[in-house]
Amino acid sequence: MTKMIGQRAIASLLSLLGLMILVFFLSRLTGDPAVLFLPIDATEQMKEEFRALHGLDRPIIEQFGAYVWDLLHLDFGDSLRKARPAIDVVLEAYTWTLPLALITMALVMVAAIVLGALAAFKVGGFFDRLVSIVSLVGASAPDFWIAIVAIVIFSINFGWLPTSGVGTPLHWVLPIAVLFIRPFGLIVQVVRGSMLSALGAAYVKTARAKGVKNRPLIFVHTLRNAMLPVITVMGDQAAALLNGAVIVETIFGFPGIGKLMIDSILQRDFNVVLTAIMVTAIAIFIMNILIDIAYGVLDPRIRQ
Amino acid sequence: MLFKHLLGGVLLASTSIVPAMAQTNTDITVVLSEELDLVEPCMATRSNIGRVIMQNISETLTELDVRGDAGLMPRLAESWEDLGNGTWQFKLRQGVTFSDGTTFDAADVKHSFDRVFSDQITCESKRYFADTALTFNIVDDNTIDIRAEPAQPILPLLMTLVTIVPSEAPVEVLREPIGTGPYVMSEWAAGQQIVLTRRDDYWGTQPAVTKATYVFRSEPAVRAAMVEAGEADIAPQITQEEATNPATDFTYPNSETVYLRIDQTIEPMGDLRVRQALNAAIDREAFIGTVLAEGTELAVAMVPPTTLGWNADLEPPAFDPEKAKELLAAAAADGINTGAPIEVIARTENFPHVTEVGEVIVQMLNDVGFKATLRMVEVAEHEQYYSKPYPEGRVAQLLMAQHDNSRGDPVFSMYFKYHSQGTQSGVNDPKVDELIEKATAATGDERAALWSELFAYVQKEIVADVLLFHMVGHSRVGERIDFKPTIATNSQLQLSEISFK
Repeated sequence: MTKMIGQRAIASLLSLLGLMILVFFLSRLTGDPAVLFLPIDATEQMKEEFRALHGLDRPIIEQFGAYVWDLLHLDFGDSLRKARPAIDVVLEAYTWTLPLALITMALVMVAAIVLGALAAFKVGGFFDRLVSIVSLVGASAPDFWIAIVAIVIFSINFGWLPTSGVGTPLHWVLPIAVLFIRPFGLIVQVVRGSMLSALGAAYVKTARAKGVKNRPLIFVHTLRNAMLPVITVMGDQAAALLNGAVIVETIFGFPGIGKLMIDSILQRDFNVVLTAIMVTAIAIFIMNILIDIAYGVLDPRIRQ
Repeated sequence: MLFKHLLGGVLLASTSIVPAMAQTNTDITVVLSEELDLVEPCMATRSNIGRVIMQNISETLTELDVRGDAGLMPRLAESWEDLGNGTWQFKLRQGVTFSDGTTFDAADVKHSFDRVFSDQITCESKRYFADTALTFNIVDDNTIDIRAEPAQPILPLLMTLVTIVPSEAPVEVLREPIGTGPYVMSEWAAGQQIVLTRRDDYWGTQPAVTKATYVFRSEPAVRAAMVEAGEADIAPQITQEEATNPATDFTYPNSETVYLRIDQTIEPMGDLRVRQALNAAIDREAFIGTVLAEGTELAVAMVPPTTLGWNADLEPPAFDPEKAKELLAAAAADGINTGAPIEVIARTENFPHVTEVGEVIVQMLNDVGFKATLRMVEVAEHEQYYSKPYPEGRVAQLLMAQHDNSRGDPVFSMYFKYHSQGTQSGVNDPKVDELIEKATAATGDERAALWSELFAYVQKEIVADVLLFHMVGHSRVGERIDFKPTIATNSQLQLSEISFK
C-alpha cells in the first residue's frame, strides 16, 4: 500500500511538472496582457513600460527560466491585475472553494448512500421514486436556472435566506443546495445500481438465510461491496467541485477558485492562472491518493 | 416532529438575519458588477475603480459637471489661469487635509503627477498626456504652475483625470489609498467587500451617507434582487430585462456609443458609395425597443450629446434599402468589387444582446447585396482587430465597438478614432487630420465650432463609419435612497450626491 502511494505521488509530481510547462507556454500564446490591462487608447510606450515592469518583454525561454527559479524559492510571482502575490490570491479563493466543496460532497455522500441503498432495497418504492425525481432534476435543470429560481423563492418571496454573499452561515445554504443537486442525482443512481447488483449476490442470499436483519444486511454487508464504483464517481464529482463551481460562484458572489480562474484566463493574468492550476492539480492529486487508500480499505485485494 | 424543528430553526435563523441585512439609516450598500482588483488612485479613470475611489476617497484639482451645464468646476484647485506660453497657474484650496492628517499642498500635486509618469507603476491617466511634456513649478504651498509642451488648451479639463495623493505616497501600487475626499477606506476584504467610512474632518460639505459598503455580483439578476430584497441600496448596470419596476429602476444615457468601424483600406470600403450604402442598409430604429432598450438614441457622432461642440444639425442616416442597392450598383458599374466578403466582428458581452444586434445587421447588409458574415470574438481577439497595426491579409471588416466618452470633450475620442495616426482609426483624410489638430489646439467657441465641423465632415462628407446608437444604462435604486443615476454613473458614483428620502 505504501509503495503504491509512493508511486502515485511520484507520478503526480511528474504530471504536475508537465502541466506547469504546458500551461506556461500555452497561456503565453493567447495574447498580450498589456493590451488587456491598459485602456484601449493607451500609448505604445505605456504598453512597453507595462511589459518591461512585469518581465514580459524578455524572451519566453528566459521568462520560463526566471519563473522556474522563483518557483524553486516558492515564489509563484505576482498577479498582474491585483499587484500582489499570486499564491495569496489563489489560496484566498481556496479558503472559500474548499469548504464549499467539502461540505457539499459530505452531504452528497451521506444522502446518496442512504437514499440510494434504500431505493435499491425496494425498487419502485417511495425512496426509489424520490431518487428518480431528484436525479432527473439534477441531470436536466441547469445550475444557473436553479440558482436564480432559488433566490427568487427563498430570498425575495420568503425572505428566509440572503440572495448572495458570504457573510453568515445562512449565506452558504443556497450555494450548497444548488451545488448538491447534480452530483447527488448522479451518485445516488450509481449507489442504487451498485446496490442492486450486490443485493443479488450469493453472499447476500446466504446472509438472509442466516437471518441477518435488513439494516445490517444493507449498511454493513452489501454497501461495503457496492462502494467501489461509488467512490470512483465521487472522486470525479469532487474534482469538479475543487476546480471551482463557476456558475454558482458567479451567481452567489462566492469568491472561489472557479471564477478566479476564468477571470484570470480572460485577463491573461498568467501567474494567477498557473498558480491556480497547480494548486488545483495538487488538491486533486491528494484526493486521488485518498481515493486509492479508500479502495485499499474497502477491498483487501487492492492492498495486496 | 423533526420537520417542525427544522422549519423552526430556519425561521429563527431568518429572523436573526434581518437585522444584519438591514441598514443603519445613513449607511448604504452598493452592489457593483465587477470586483476591484486594485484601489490605486491613479487607476481611478477605470470605471470599476473610479466608482469607488473618484471624488469619494481621492479628489482631483478640477471636476467636470457631466450632468448639468456648470462645465468645469473647482475641486482641490479653487481657480486657474492661462499664463500663456503653455503655462497654467492653479490656485489650490487651503485648509484641506488628507485622511492621514497631512495637509494638502502644491508638492502633493507634483508628486501625484510624478507617480502617474513613473515607469515603476502603471497608471491609466498617463495616456491623457501621451504627447505632452509637463513641467511643474511650485510657486508656494498653494500655487503651482504647470507648463505643457506643446501647449495644452484643455489642461484644466485634464486635471479632472488625475487624483491627488500625498507626497508621502510610495510609487508602488497603493493598497490603502489616502486621499482628500470625504471618505476613507476602512475595510477591503478582497473578493467580498470594500467599506468607505465618512471622514469628520473633510474640507467640504459633509455628505449624508455615513458608510458605504461595496459588494460585487457579476450576475445582473442578482444585483437587482439584492435591492429588491433590501440587501443593497444601489445596483448600477442591471439589464433591460431586470429594469421593470418604475419605482426603483432608472434608464438613462450612459455615454457609450456603438458603431461599426470601417477600414477604408480594404476593397470595397474605400468607395464612398459603398460606405453610404452600408449606412442606408441598416434600419436603426428597428433595434430600439426590441433587442435594445427603449431610450436608446440613434447616434450621429462618436460622442454623446453632452459633449463640447455637439452638432445638433446632424441627423442619423435614413434607412433606405433601395438607395443602398442603387449605390452598390453604381459602385459595381465603376468596377468596385461590391461582392467582396465582409466580416462584421463583434465582441462577446460587449453590451447586452450584442450577438443579436450583429446578426440583424449582417442580415440587413445582405438584404441589399453585401456578402457579410458575423464573427463573435472574445476581448483579446477583438483588440487585435480594433487597434493598429491591423492584421495583414484581412478581408474587409466592419468592427463593432462601443466607445465611452463622458469626459466632456471630443479630444478624448476623435484623434484615436479618426486621425490617420489614431490607433483605432480606419480613416486617412488630410482634412480630418487638420481639423482634429486645429480643434485640439483651440479654445472656447472656436474649439466647439471646429469639433462641430469635424462631426459633420466625418459623418456627411467622408462617411467614416456606421454610427449606430447612443446607449442607455439601467440602475436600480432602493426606495429609501434619493439618488438619480445619470450619464456620469458610468464612470463614477459620488456618495456626496446620495441622500435619503
